[in-house]
Amino acid sequence: MLSIRDLVKVYPGSTTALAGVSLDVSEGVFGLLGPNGAGKTTLMRVLAGVLEATSGTAELDGVSIVDHPERIRERTGYLPQDFGFLPHLSGERMLRYLLRLKGVRSPQGEKELCRALLDRVHLEDAAKRKVKTYSGGMRQRLGIAQAVAGDPRLIIVDEPTAGLDPEERLRFYRLLSELAQDRIVILSTHIVEDVAVLCPRFVVIRQGRLVADTSPSEARRALEGAIHEGAVDALEFNRFVADPSRRVTQAYLVEGRNRVRIYQTTGDLPPGFRTVAPTLEDAYMILIKTGSLPGSSRAGEGATP
Amino acid sequence: MSSPSCFKRCLAIFASDLSYHSKRPLVAVWAFVMILTAWGLSSGTMQIASGDQTVGGTRAYITSEFAVSMQLTILTLLFHGFFVSVLAGMAIIQDEDWKLTELLLATPLRPWEYVWGKFAAVLATALGVLGIQLVAMMILYHLIPVAQTAEIRGVFSVWNYVKPAIVFAAPTMVFLAGLALGVGAWSRRPVMVFLLPVAIVLFVTTFLWQWSPSWLDPALERLLEAVDPAGYRWLNERFLKVDRGVAFYNTAAVPFDAWETVNRVMFVLLGLGCAGLAARGVSARVRGRAGAAWFRRKGRVSILVEDRDTHPIEPLQSLGMAVKRPGFWRGAWTVAHGELLELRSSAGLYLFIPLLFIQTISVALLDVGFLDTPFLVTSTRFAVRSLIPLSLCLAMLFVFYAADTIDRERTTRLASFASAYPIRTSSILLGKLAGLCVIATVVVLAVALGGVIAMFVQGRITPNLGIFALYWGVILVPTVLVWIAFLFAVHGLAQSRYAVYAAGTAVLLFTGYRLLTGQINWVGNWPMWDAVSASDISVFELDRIAVVLSRVGVLGLAIFLGRVAVQAYRRREIDAARLLGRTNARGVLLELLRLLPWAAAPIVAAGWLGWLVHSGREGGVAKKSDKDYWRRNVATFTDARTPDLVHVELNLALFPQRSGYQSRGTYELVNHDEKPFRQVLLTGGRHWRRLSWTLDGKDVVPGNRAGLYVFTPPGGTLKPGERMVIGFRHEGEFPAGIGESAARAREFILPSSVVITGFEPTIAPVLGFREDIGIDDENRSEAREYPDDFHEGRTDTFLGARYPFTTRITIEGPADFTLNSVGIKRSDTVVNERRTVVWESDHPVELWNVIAGRYVVDRKERTAIYHDKRHSYNIPEMHASLEAALKYYSEWFYPYPWRELKLSEFPNLASYAQGFPTNITFSEGIGFLTRSTPEIHAPFEITAHEAAHQWWGNIISPARGPGGAFLNEGISHFSTILLVEQVHGLAARIDFCKRLEASYAQARRADSERSLAKVQGERPDDTTTIYDKGGWVCWMLLNHLGRERMLLGIHEYFKRYHANPDHPTVHDLLAVLRGHASDPAAFDAFTHQWFYVVAVPEYRLSDAKKSQTGTRFVVTARIQNVKTGAMPVEIAVVRGERFDAKGMANPAYQEARTTVTLGAGETKDLRVECSFEPERIVVDPDAKVLQLERKAAQLKF
Repeated sequence: MLSIRDLVKVYPGSTTALAGVSLDVSEGVFGLLGPNGAGKTTLMRVLAGVLEATSGTAELDGVSIVDHPERIRERTGYLPQDFGFLPHLSGERMLRYLLRLKGVRSPQGEKELCRALLDRVHLEDAAKRKVKTYSGGMRQRLGIAQAVAGDPRLIIVDEPTAGLDPEERLRFYRLLSELAQDRIVILSTHIVEDVAVLCPRFVVIRQGRLVADTSPSEARRALEGAIHEGAVDALEFNRFVADPSRRVTQAYLVEGRNRVRIYQTTGDLPPGFRTVAPTLEDAYMILIKTGSLPGSSRAGEGATP
Repeated sequence: MSSPSCFKRCLAIFASDLSYHSKRPLVAVWAFVMILTAWGLSSGTMQIASGDQTVGGTRAYITSEFAVSMQLTILTLLFHGFFVSVLAGMAIIQDEDWKLTELLLATPLRPWEYVWGKFAAVLATALGVLGIQLVAMMILYHLIPVAQTAEIRGVFSVWNYVKPAIVFAAPTMVFLAGLALGVGAWSRRPVMVFLLPVAIVLFVTTFLWQWSPSWLDPALERLLEAVDPAGYRWLNERFLKVDRGVAFYNTAAVPFDAWETVNRVMFVLLGLGCAGLAARGVSARVRGRAGAAWFRRKGRVSILVEDRDTHPIEPLQSLGMAVKRPGFWRGAWTVAHGELLELRSSAGLYLFIPLLFIQTISVALLDVGFLDTPFLVTSTRFAVRSLIPLSLCLAMLFVFYAADTIDRERTTRLASFASAYPIRTSSILLGKLAGLCVIATVVVLAVALGGVIAMFVQGRITPNLGIFALYWGVILVPTVLVWIAFLFAVHGLAQSRYAVYAAGTAVLLFTGYRLLTGQINWVGNWPMWDAVSASDISVFELDRIAVVLSRVGVLGLAIFLGRVAVQAYRRREIDAARLLGRTNARGVLLELLRLLPWAAAPIVAAGWLGWLVHSGREGGVAKKSDKDYWRRNVATFTDARTPDLVHVELNLALFPQRSGYQSRGTYELVNHDEKPFRQVLLTGGRHWRRLSWTLDGKDVVPGNRAGLYVFTPPGGTLKPGERMVIGFRHEGEFPAGIGESAARAREFILPSSVVITGFEPTIAPVLGFREDIGIDDENRSEAREYPDDFHEGRTDTFLGARYPFTTRITIEGPADFTLNSVGIKRSDTVVNERRTVVWESDHPVELWNVIAGRYVVDRKERTAIYHDKRHSYNIPEMHASLEAALKYYSEWFYPYPWRELKLSEFPNLASYAQGFPTNITFSEGIGFLTRSTPEIHAPFEITAHEAAHQWWGNIISPARGPGGAFLNEGISHFSTILLVEQVHGLAARIDFCKRLEASYAQARRADSERSLAKVQGERPDDTTTIYDKGGWVCWMLLNHLGRERMLLGIHEYFKRYHANPDHPTVHDLLAVLRGHASDPAAFDAFTHQWFYVVAVPEYRLSDAKKSQTGTRFVVTARIQNVKTGAMPVEIAVVRGERFDAKGMANPAYQEARTTVTLGAGETKDLRVECSFEPERIVVDPDAKVLQLERKAAQLKF
């Protein structure tokens, strides 16, 4: 069990990245959803033990991460948002080096383990190439390999699918699902689809505060009957979006025409609009814009169990 | 939208690159280095060698156009060259690494616009840094100069800075930038870019600027000047090498000739041409013609088809992974391995390692010692000589690589996740340290390989790697460890690589400054720079405790700093608010207390060492004791007369294993003066214990004035002609305590050997008050100025006693020691593993000494050489010299009065040779380890010089005062000239004379040089005047008088002044020789020119023509003496080489000669007829007239 209480992080210059986050996370994939700058990465880094919090506690199975980060390092796998490798090493050498630093062992030996991990992230063909020649996606996959190595109790992955193509993203989803059987996996992302696919439970963070602690199905259910979709003429679009009587959750182009999804609980629907099934993306947009979903607690309150 | 013009595109590249360069740390470091250099130069560290403040006259300014030109030619190549090459060479490679090139060239940008834009940006950056340097120089030289350097600053003139920058620095920069850009564009390998400036610097500094033998053909000289990209050779050979006087350098503009102008323009064009080639290279690659293979290779990278099979994957759990925190050593090993894998890709290493490798070979092979003779490279000498360059280069290397290493995780962003790994911080740092140590090992191995190669090249000595391991292990290993730990700690505390650069550079500069200014001691000399001497005989014997404590302290400090580094190493970003909460007085105190145990070892070692230094033989206690001696006695006893020694009786028991001795003896004294003595003074040693005195056999307690013992003669006075005997007995250890900063000593009793002289109160008192004891910066006075008529009347001795005396010296020591002293051996017995040897003077002496060691002896009829068994390389040559000296000097000068002549070797704890009567001592670096070549008979020459001191110094000791040193050393050089010709022939003599002449031409300072009759030895250029010019002038005097007359005159001189209490001066020598001159007026003219004033000719030939009339050839030419002096000089027209490689006369050689006499500035036309077609005109073919620029005094048809 990962237990976080009143976690605060203030950066020099009085920038509050975390404003008292409290959270309990048990086994399974746990989603941390939020826009850029919401405090996700700060929270991930504190949990990974690479950033000291200003106050509050975070404990993994009763061991304080804030006070003794070195005690949880053997049980943590971490894939940060921004990372790099030693550029002159090959992918295989790099991974072996990291496995040794991490102290990962396997009955089949280091070399075989390394090969198996590279196989998992589909880098076996590029194993002998220098890391500096890797594409962004390949580096990301190598990062994933090191994060999952060692069967860690807590896996923290920060924006892990950035740079992955759809196929690799799918592979990664499978890998995380597999890992999450008896581990805590914290997935930080701003890609709603990641959470929708992977997380039975997720929180939304905004300006350093948790604004929702829910599940994808709960979130969708909260918007049942309130999401409507229709087409808007290009010339009308700006005026339509600016109308305060409705909230636009998504707007996209289909065959050159603006398709718009709106959240509206009262009043007449705009012409041509019809009620549709809500998506997690609709819920996320509502949470980010209003700080709450209908029928759920408000920002900061709902986050505390 | 219209596309911009080509100029605008070029300008855009230029602006973007210039902006990038201006923000680069490399450029900041470059500018910083140049400002530091300007600061260093502002104290006059790089000055034209002309003028001297001790003369009271003008010194060479550092601000003159000549001085700034000299500084810029050297600095541009050494510093700017490196940075500008890296900047230009990497410009295109870096873009390719960043995958920018293809992107940029996919736009309308043309390759040549791209390359020239980059080139211009590099040049603008370089010129910007040059500008910063010039401004720094102007400010530091003129606005805020070092206070003590007023006499080396001239009037400010911007042109003095700008002109050399335009003429010398800028063309060099353009050339190097263009060349590096070309190499980078065509090779696309960083290593090549880094190696380029190294190769150029090595070639230029070790060959082009150095190699200038006297026989060099002027045409070849011009060629060498032409290929020097910096222009320094031209400046040096034409203007700096032969001193033109301080006024010239301070006021004249550098007079550029067409030759140098072409050189500068040529290098600019070459640079631009290379940049053009770089543009062509890029263009060709873009079109796919050249470098297609490279692009294909690159292409393979980007178009790799990833095989996306969908084979079933086993669950992750099936891998059975587990994490166990890596153990300390295993973690360190892992990190070290990773570091090495990264470091091996570091281009800089490929720069430094070959640089050190080549430098050490060249330093080893070019190492010269006494009389400018080359050293034989031995393992010990190489190991010790390499210590400073090795430790300095490693320290500089690690300033950059330690910062790189420690910062690697952050810069590569590996730390983002690796900081969360369970590996211990101490393992990380140890691993990084180990990685750097491996680099250090590779560097050391490269240097060792250089040494081995140097030894194989000279072909005399088998390398002993154990010696390398011993010296480098003891000294270098702790130094490297503490340095890396220090840099790690600085990084940990400051969290900035720039702090590492700054702190590292500051510590190195500070240590170097303290060393150069003589302020360092064992405690502060953490790298042990210049602290040990290279000796095969005495390895770490002297001051061993200091070496041990220094290394223990440094290792302890390394551990302490390592601990600090571990403590400060941040794997987790610290929270500022929490940090403030922790930073209270109690917290800080607790933290310090926690660190205290780690600091215990270095504190204890440093404290102990400091105490030993303070109480040691050169420390505060000793200095105070010496100062007390001076203070209490200087006013009373300066120039106090003493009775003279008649006989010295000495019984000395040596215990070398503990540096101990017991001494007892008597001095029999007589009053040779006309006045009685009321007091007799003896100076004793500080280290004497259980001291007791007797007077005429009865116990006595003399007055003790801080080590000056004052005896009242029996009866109150010692009347003229009366005698008295003072006895002494004491014991002690010598050297007493450690030295201040280095294991060096001129006299010592050590387990391997013993050196003691009668000059110092080591084991026996010295007669009289010693004016030199207790002198330091506070009470040092100017050298004594003697009146012009100082030679009138009786003059005192230069060295030793006024009257010769007899000696009987009994030495007891270990049975395996040879115990040598002056005179002849009366007995040599061994009882109970103790040897006792009795030496008696078979003819009176004025000096005595004792030397002992474990020797093998090479004995001949009247000569013997005692030496370490490993040092037999030069024994035959040295012995031949010793025998020849004994034979010929006896014939030429005066019969040798003693029965035998010995030469004994001692450890290189001091580098000198001394010719005591019958008992010459040589440091092992002199003669024994001199490199002899077929052309240069260095061991022969050194031995001949020292053997000559039996006559010039012992049989006759000259008078103290002006010219005294010349009468000892200059005439010994003259004796060597004679002996070299006698034994090795004319070619060897000419070569020896030319070497002396070249040494004089290079080291003299025209404005401060004093005549031979005035020279005393305290000015920087006095040495070359005394030795080189002194030897030459006597040689010329011999040619002037004629050999027989000269030798007869010398014979008379010996007869007159041997055992004469009126010790001779230069005037006395010349007065005797004048009596043998056939033309006294000519003799006076000669001696006036060469002994009483400073004059030296320099001949220039011009307008040489040859014509043929029938079978005869006529040569005409013009000769001018562009300097001073008037000497008849021979001019030869020659065909063929005069001597073969072995120095034998070549029968095919032909010549015809004429003689001219040219006064200062005079010109004469020559006409020489000959029956062969001449090839060259040579001035002074037999090397009989001392002159400057001899190589300019010959012409080839």
